[in-house]
Amino acid sequence: MKLKSPFTGNRGKMIKPGACAGLLIILIACPLFIKSPYLFHIFNLTLIYIIVAVSFRTIMTSGQLPLSHAGFMGVGAYASATAAKWLGWTPWITIPFGALVAMGVGVIMGYPFARLRAVYYAMISLFFGMLIISSVKAFDTWTGGAAGLTGIPTLFGYSKIPYYYFFLLLTSVCLLALYRLEFSRTGVTWKAIAQSHEVAASVGINEARYRILASAIGCLFAGLAGATYAHYNGVIGTTSFGLMATILLLIYVIVGGAGSFFGPIIGVVLLMTIPELLRGLREYVPYISAAILLIVVYIMPKGVAGLANSLLSWFTELRKNRRTSNAS
Amino acid sequence: MLLELHKVTKHFMGLVAVDDFNMDVDRGELVGLIGPNGAGKTTLFNLITGILRLTSGKITFNGIDITEKRPHEVAELGIGRTFQLNPLFSDFTVLENVIASFHLRPKSSLPDVFFNTATYRRNEADIKEQSLQILNLLGLDKVKNELGKHLPHGHRLILGIARALAVKPKLLLLDEPTRGMSLDEIDLALGAIERMCEQGVTIVLVEHNMEVIDFCDRVVVMNFGKKIAEGPVDQVRKDEEVIKAYLGSEHAA
Repeated sequence: MKLKSPFTGNRGKMIKPGACAGLLIILIACPLFIKSPYLFHIFNLTLIYIIVAVSFRTIMTSGQLPLSHAGFMGVGAYASATAAKWLGWTPWITIPFGALVAMGVGVIMGYPFARLRAVYYAMISLFFGMLIISSVKAFDTWTGGAAGLTGIPTLFGYSKIPYYYFFLLLTSVCLLALYRLEFSRTGVTWKAIAQSHEVAASVGINEARYRILASAIGCLFAGLAGATYAHYNGVIGTTSFGLMATILLLIYVIVGGAGSFFGPIIGVVLLMTIPELLRGLREYVPYISAAILLIVVYIMPKGVAGLANSLLSWFTELRKNRRTSNAS
Repeated sequence: MLLELHKVTKHFMGLVAVDDFNMDVDRGELVGLIGPNGAGKTTLFNLITGILRLTSGKITFNGIDITEKRPHEVAELGIGRTFQLNPLFSDFTVLENVIASFHLRPKSSLPDVFFNTATYRRNEADIKEQSLQILNLLGLDKVKNELGKHLPHGHRLILGIARALAVKPKLLLLDEPTRGMSLDEIDLALGAIERMCEQGVTIVLVEHNMEVIDFCDRVVVMNFGKKIAEGPVDQVRKDEEVIKAYLGSEHAA
């Protein structure tokens, strides 16, 4: 049995247009059956965090571990929220603005440190993430500091359903874009760099340039998600964007399976949405999360998506063997 | 001259790895670089390809000074190379290894990639076609869907050559292309080297296997970072310095 390795090239295109359309129709029809605004709040958060987690993994495919990713979500959120609140711009302009600011800051971080690899990059980005949080606290006149920023203009008021459709559309578009990128030449080049930067350089790949590109694109989507989050929630605070938030993202990605595009999505649903839905057991949520994490790490080293892939290839192998033994 | 090394010197702290080394390689030549272990052969390759920085000296390729160039810039100018260890992208299949190595041409821009334009699709189809041609040329077409890490050692090294060919090199640096290979695999590798020579690729190879060295137009012998002999294979074999370096002074004369 062959396991799917992490960060494979052009294989494993798993998007089945039919299945995706079906899922989308179910999601679009959801408001017909579900009436609880609380549930839609959870769904909306899930959709936002799917963008963040998938863009986090996009940077990881280039072999870097950005421990500041939630911070970039924060850059997008604060840039958009302050522009809307203090300059009076409409959120429809500040959201792309926030995303672009996050991308710009991502490039600024990527540029000088693009030559650092693996753990060194992780350390630098860790400090960069802290720097973002400290800056927010330092400029508390505009950002609200540690107390949080309130009174951010919202996109559609306080009803959850319009947001639900908005996020459904946004997340679908973002996922499609990132999926495209992952299985394109750019994605293959990122994965090549992650496997061996020396070999990659020997065929003319400019490692630094591609790492910066990965960082820029990852931060753009994180910033976009952060900005929409700000105009959805109306209130933002630094705790959503600190180190702990990044570590949680990392856990979502690993539990879901870093080797697969769908891993982070599975991770977010499994570790964020489901515990959130077990509202009555709120005190036990950390224990449930920890238990899921331990189980995954022990029995599914490639995450849930990795296990699903293994089962799938095991099953096709089995069928193939059966067919050949029947034939002989 | 295609490649000119002028007084190339590399110090690692106190150790002199390459010392005042001069070498010229002409277009279309097949040059063997030999010497005992630790003579500085791989270091020399790393200096040419920009992985290591020279302590002093100058390297020109095709009339361009490449002394200060970074590895990917050197590759862009047309120098391909293989590595002794980890010669490939181990999580990619054989075919993907070559496809990923076609980085330089044909080139697609990021918007092309993003919107999956006709240009991009045509480029990618073209690259796949050319990759398959290279695999056919090197006899790797049967294993094209195997993962790099599942390949036997010899095939990995040949895949290293395939990857280097994707750069469309004017000059190919092969670092022990037949190291640890079985006899069949050596034949495969030799066949590949022969075909590349026919196509007019200039090759410099580091090798311990004399069977391969016999193919070379010219041999350069290194010891302790210095050039100790140079010339046709037969002449170098009789050279006293060379015999001394390989077998010790009591065997000389």
